[in-house]
Amino acid sequence: MKYIIKSPRVGTVGEVYEPQVWVNIGALLSGGFIEPADKENTDKPNTDKPKKAKVNKDKE
Amino acid sequence: MATSTYLSNPVVTVNSIDLTDQCTAATFTHRFDQLESTAFGDTDRKYVKGLGNHEITLSLYMSYASSETYATLSTLVGTTTTVRVQPAAPPDSATNPGFILTGAFLAELPVINASMGELSTIDVTFVGGAYSVDTSA
Repeated sequence: MKYIIKSPRVGTVGEVYEPQVWVNIGALLSGGFIEPADKENTDKPNTDKPKKAKVNKDKE
Repeated sequence: MATSTYLSNPVVTVNSIDLTDQCTAATFTHRFDQLESTAFGDTDRKYVKGLGNHEITLSLYMSYASSETYATLSTLVGTTTTVRVQPAAPPDSATNPGFILTGAFLAELPVINASMGELSTIDVTFVGGAYSVDTSA
């Protein structure tokens, strides 16, 4: 799994973090030092247009 | 003269997080349990090497800000990680070895150590794990 560096204490921010076997990844994630690389895709803004409201024909 | 003066060069990383700018003291002890092997016929006590029982104690300024001391250590309490201390900035060499404790256990973290008008500091101790020395760049 790939991770992105979020804190300069771990390395250059924005670069891919390649964990060594001895690193406690869970602690780095929960401390906000790194984040999963695939998280960037889920953070993209939703560009779908909002659905139109249904017109109640009975009232017309 | 065999002296070492530490000014600002040592490098301290905990779980690959660089805490150098929060650290004011580091004591890395390479130690083994001593097992007594004295037997009948001996006139002096004798010992043999037992299991490795290494330890690192770090003195750190406490900071609760993002990516600082508390954020680094709070998630490591009760777990194992790796701590690395090097006398001076890289590269590693025979005269600038990186001392590494892999799989060291952090049993406790003082979350508050506050005194009026003083910077908050804490001492944390990592115990156990495998000791190694990195001398290659």
